[in-house]
Amino acid sequence: MDCDSFSHVPLPSLSKDLGKKKRGNRLAKLKQCKLDVRRQQWLSQIRNKGCKDDSIGRNESPSSMQIAYGGNKSLDSFKPRAREEENEGLSIHNRDLETLMIEPICSSLCNNDSSKGLSGSNRGTNSSSCSGSVCDDEEDECVDDWEAVADALNADNDQHQHSPIVDHITQSETNVRLADFEQAEKNSGVDLPEKEIRETVRMNCQAWMPDDAFRPQTLPSLSKQHDISPNSGWHCSHGVVTWAWQNIMPQPSSCPICCEDLDVTDSSFLPCSCGFRLCLFCHKRILEADGRCPGCRKQYDLVKRDTCFNGGTTPFRAVNS
Amino acid sequence: MQASRARLFKEYKEVQREKTADPDIQLVCDDSNIFKWTALIKGPSETPFEGGVFQLAFAVPEQYPLQPPQVRFLTKIFHPNVHFKTGEICLDILKNAWSPAWTLQSVCRAIIALMAHPEPDSPLNCDSGNLLRSGDTRGYQSMARMYTRLAAMPKKVRSVELLQVWHGTTIQPSNMLS
Repeated sequence: MDCDSFSHVPLPSLSKDLGKKKRGNRLAKLKQCKLDVRRQQWLSQIRNKGCKDDSIGRNESPSSMQIAYGGNKSLDSFKPRAREEENEGLSIHNRDLETLMIEPICSSLCNNDSSKGLSGSNRGTNSSSCSGSVCDDEEDECVDDWEAVADALNADNDQHQHSPIVDHITQSETNVRLADFEQAEKNSGVDLPEKEIRETVRMNCQAWMPDDAFRPQTLPSLSKQHDISPNSGWHCSHGVVTWAWQNIMPQPSSCPICCEDLDVTDSSFLPCSCGFRLCLFCHKRILEADGRCPGCRKQYDLVKRDTCFNGGTTPFRAVNS
Repeated sequence: MQASRARLFKEYKEVQREKTADPDIQLVCDDSNIFKWTALIKGPSETPFEGGVFQLAFAVPEQYPLQPPQVRFLTKIFHPNVHFKTGEICLDILKNAWSPAWTLQSVCRAIIALMAHPEPDSPLNCDSGNLLRSGDTRGYQSMARMYTRLAAMPKKVRSVELLQVWHGTTIQPSNMLS
């Protein structure tokens, strides 16, 4: 590198471009080398985990045997499941049926919940529970939603653990359940993919709401997850969540979009009811582009109208009367 | 232009500071160009990509963060939402669902999540998508695992495991000895 730059100094300006290009190529190569080295390091870590015997015995066979075992594990992990399914009797589709049979129970439970929430929200929009809105939004955006994914995993584990109980139920009330299941299938539309149904089940079983007071402190911080998934359905009930945001989220000292410091005007500027703060400059730039809040992806104008309806009830009534 | 630079510098610092926070992601900025990044991500566990290390290339536009970065896989991967030849990724947050509040790090996390939860109904790799849509998860997994071993794993492990995939059998220790 040093030699390189040194040799370029006396060269005339015409050849400088060429030199730059060369240098660029060299940098790119160096870069690639570095990346390859890192990759190798990572890979070697994995390899070391896979075959610890490698360093002890130089013979090919033991290490490769070890690896062979490692490779088998992943395959074997499928087999016991398959066996379980067969042992449980009926057919290979047993598990699918089970999950579908759980569905009416779960959904009826969750329906109760959400109906309560909805009735609450009819009386006072501010106090609406999140449950209804969460499942609506997350059907298409489950990939983004980290806590939902974690919850889904837990729900999956739970399903495995609860399976004996469910078996018991199914044995005693098979006919009823089957009828239920068929009805549910008809209602939900037969062409609805099974995965989607399962997902909705999982979403309904979500463990913690973002503003849940009983959420253990040991769980990963919610504010961080808000940063990761700005579009999740949690921001739907404005009143509650704005309150939560203001309490949980410390006021940022710099704009999260352009990273400039927020001045006094900026820090008193709250453009969206989801509580996402940004500087006036970025706000203007976003309005010129697609005009959606980076925090909740709603149109800024619509959001403002919403806040008028939800937050400022008195002026709205005054206008009406 | 200036805004995007400032933002990328901040992300760079963040990456440096929280290097250990997410051991599955290594984000590296190009030495000479802050608009070019590379990431190494580990395949999520309990997926056919487990054990593999995948390289991603980021091309950040000058309108960043108002415009999403362009990301593609440099490592070959058999996944319904990744183009097999170009490595292009079909992910809503990289297109219309982008939000300026996202960062390069969170994009990496989203891609890892996509690897674990493929979306076969909007495929870029039709073969992979069709396997999943026809319900042949086993076929999909074995194909994906094979390509993970071919492209994203060290050679020594690869050769033995490839043999297994090739013969469709598992090599028992007793077979090895005799």
